[in-house]
Amino acid sequence: MGFWLELAASGLITGGIYAVVAIGLNLQYGLMRIMNISHGEFLMLGAYLTWLAYTVLGINPLASLLPVAVALFLLGLIVYALCFRRIARTAPSVEVIEARSLLVGFGLMFLVQNAAYLAWGADLRGYSFLAEPVEIAGARFMSNRLVVFAFAVGLSLVMLAVLRWTLIGKAVRAMMQSPAGAQLVGIDTTVLHPVVFGAGLALAGVAGGLLSMVYEISPSMGEPYTVTALIVITLGGLGSALGSLLGGFILGLVEAFGMHFTSPSLKMLLSYAVLIGVLLARPRGLFSR
Amino acid sequence: MARRTGIKFVTAALLAAALASAFAQDAPIRIGYAIARTGPWAAGAQVTQEPNYIMWAEQVNAAGGLNVKGKKRKVELVGFDDRSEAETVVRTYEKLMTSDKVDLILPPWGTGANFAVMPLAQKHGYPMLSPTATGRRLLGMKNPYFFALLQQPDRMMSALAEFLKARNVGTAAMIHVDELFGLEQAGALEEAFKEKGIRIVEKKSYPIGVKDLAPVLKDIQAKNPDAFVALSYPPDTFLVTGQAKAIAFNPKVFYAAVGTAFPVYRDKMGAATVEGVMGLGTWNPKMSPAAKAYFDAHVARWKKEPDRWASAHAWAGLQILQQAVEKAGLDRRAVRDYIAGNEFNTIIGKIRFRNGENVSTPGVVSQWSGGEFEVVWPPQNATGPSLYPKPAWK
Amino acid sequence: MNTREALAATLAAGALLAAMPWLASDFALALALSCLMYAGLAVSWAMFCGPTHYLSLATSAFFGIGAYVTAWGFGTLPYLGAVLVGGIAAAAFAALVGAAVLHLRGAYFAVITFGLGELVRHAITHFEKTYAHTVGRVISDPPEAATIYLTVLAVTLAAVATAIAVRASRLGFALVGIGADEVRAQTLGVDTRAMKVAAFTLSAFFAGALGAAMAVRWTYIEPLSVFNPFIGFQTVLIAMVGGAQTLVGPILSSVVFSLLTEFLRLRFPYAFLILLGTLLIILVLYLPGGIASLVSRLRRAHA
Repeated sequence: MGFWLELAASGLITGGIYAVVAIGLNLQYGLMRIMNISHGEFLMLGAYLTWLAYTVLGINPLASLLPVAVALFLLGLIVYALCFRRIARTAPSVEVIEARSLLVGFGLMFLVQNAAYLAWGADLRGYSFLAEPVEIAGARFMSNRLVVFAFAVGLSLVMLAVLRWTLIGKAVRAMMQSPAGAQLVGIDTTVLHPVVFGAGLALAGVAGGLLSMVYEISPSMGEPYTVTALIVITLGGLGSALGSLLGGFILGLVEAFGMHFTSPSLKMLLSYAVLIGVLLARPRGLFSR
Repeated sequence: MARRTGIKFVTAALLAAALASAFAQDAPIRIGYAIARTGPWAAGAQVTQEPNYIMWAEQVNAAGGLNVKGKKRKVELVGFDDRSEAETVVRTYEKLMTSDKVDLILPPWGTGANFAVMPLAQKHGYPMLSPTATGRRLLGMKNPYFFALLQQPDRMMSALAEFLKARNVGTAAMIHVDELFGLEQAGALEEAFKEKGIRIVEKKSYPIGVKDLAPVLKDIQAKNPDAFVALSYPPDTFLVTGQAKAIAFNPKVFYAAVGTAFPVYRDKMGAATVEGVMGLGTWNPKMSPAAKAYFDAHVARWKKEPDRWASAHAWAGLQILQQAVEKAGLDRRAVRDYIAGNEFNTIIGKIRFRNGENVSTPGVVSQWSGGEFEVVWPPQNATGPSLYPKPAWK
Repeated sequence: MNTREALAATLAAGALLAAMPWLASDFALALALSCLMYAGLAVSWAMFCGPTHYLSLATSAFFGIGAYVTAWGFGTLPYLGAVLVGGIAAAAFAALVGAAVLHLRGAYFAVITFGLGELVRHAITHFEKTYAHTVGRVISDPPEAATIYLTVLAVTLAAVATAIAVRASRLGFALVGIGADEVRAQTLGVDTRAMKVAAFTLSAFFAGALGAAMAVRWTYIEPLSVFNPFIGFQTVLIAMVGGAQTLVGPILSSVVFSLLTEFLRLRFPYAFLILLGTLLIILVLYLPGGIASLVSRLRRAHA
């Protein structure tokens, strides 16, 4: 394939993994300014559910993705009703919503992580799925990573399409632009908010399910992914679905090339340097609205 | 009304006092510890260490209690979560040693946490037998109350170097994690390889939590070394295994330090895939009837296998403590002296300490073979033949 | 309570607390140390972030820098010297970085400041590994427990006193103005950039000094554990739950939080984070003004 293309492909695939993790968080923040710092914990739940389905019931992880999404969507509705609805109702300003939802997010993070420790123990778990290499144009890739990449792109495109062309997508975009205006034209936030929150959690769960095919899982696996998601959506522009897809790719490419030219130890430095650089030039991210 | 309550109270108090004095001789031995139940250290601690602590206390109590110079007393474990934080480790042991005044302590998991406890152990006189702490720096502290059970890096790396030399391996590539562990192992490896004349053609390091090492592996593959050594932690061990398989990197020797000894490595990657992979290990249930008994008991109690490296050291440490208390009682100074001055029988063989280091257990190389992590070098300690060269990834 | 009274109260509290090493058990002292440390971190965090409504997660970076100054300097510098240099190093870092990132707001600022801790951690790891051929430093002869405690007490008192002084100063008023409406503050002639950098730097000093002071307790200092992002999270949590705009809120909150966490951890060895998380959520939802609002409500009820 050519060395550089292969390196780029490797970076894009890793970037796809980053992007798929970020989609759900972006939705929640973009619409509701909820900085869900417990995002990674729901990703972790999705991973465990998929692992359980595979090892106990023998269900193909790809087939589990839909039930996991549904389960986490329903969980999202409950979590929203219990934890976030009140904030939206009682907070005097958007900044306050951000601040309080951040705190609630911390609480959820402790809660969900500890519950996972109790339920499944701290040991690393994992399973092997699609772990065979596949050859494309002379370069070899792991099948499961390719699958994750495909889903990342697919889900992002679906998300973009939904937001642009469906009625509910338009309602969501209207709400992102002007909450008051949206309500004036009859868009019901009391329905839309929980649905979007649930969708965000469902996407986190799907990301977790996909990741469980590639990496090992543990109750503490969520936090690093939350961090990655935050970087990706900040880089791409908060609220922009296209931004988080491209942001993920950029991050993956920077890491892949950075690792080759310098050393893996410096990859984090490079990633952050890129982030800071981008934010200096474009303070609202690359593709912000 | 008040008088009746008063009488009830006094009667209860007298009864309690009578009962207390009857049981006073049988007050339990309190053994305290802090260990990671949450946080980054928890994955290791909950496989290798705490399950052994709990199982040991249960076994001891089932047999009537811990033998203290002839008298049996029940063991009560006083354990807390240290949340993988050094400050919490320090504070908890301060509590255990000075407020709770426990009889004995068990160490936490990992080099960092053990460093944190060492000054306290010396200050308050509590011996600690550590199964998950390694490094010259630790032993360099010359703490008389600290005993390291694991074989130190120089031993394990020398064993690897000897094995490679015996198979006429000429070149090797090495990657290591950017941590004290990785650095010390890397340093020991470089010395050992130089001594045996093995040329290191590539050396790279990477940060903890890396998610993709394929570019590094490809670079190494291009250099075609005979042996590949990853001085890695479990997540990276899994990663390099999967990615080496993906790019069909098939060196004659594939060694990944930590994580290979965990049963989940074989279970997640598949027994066929891991066939021939080498790593840090010390034992398996085939070594002796005692080892098999320990293995079976662990599986029965925890529904999971112990790991093939430090789990056994953890159990050995508890055996040593048990034997020391039997002879020296609960005078902690006496216990420490007894541990420092004697040789013990444990499931990993005889153990004697010199300056806090276990000088008896030899450095070994282990290898997955037929679904078990066999000890394959040195020959006198081997539990099975070695596979060389490593079969291609399946 | 005016500035002079507040300062006097701080001093008095300090004098009382200074007696602890001779009155309390080792464990109680360690607990008090934890309360003091978080009080200092929360108060200095709130110094900048309270009035301006910035969400900074940079505390981990500052704390870690201070801790590493001790790791490098211990032996060469006296303990108090290391604490001072730790604070200065963190402050210098904040000044440098602040100039670059303080134009960001909200979530962007939060993510960037979070990244700073990670950035410094990786930079130090790389530097140590390449030039010093080691990762992590050992402190073999730490100061006495009483010394550590009194040092941390002194730094925290200084943080509180500084916070009191800032609130009554031009800088403090400028910060409130920036928080209310930054553009308007600028049109009124406030050099908002300079003010923000100044306050950010000041709050970083104390975080760094505290990191330098506490590091000696752990014997082994490695980047992964001293740049623990949880320190940043916990600081923000404590300050906001206490009431970031107030002075007393973060202090009260740090005491309550530290004691509550410890109590739960000891009493419920397996499930305490579940309890803590639940309590936190309930607190944020039903006491949004924080602990300080509870205090002022009680005060008004008794007025």
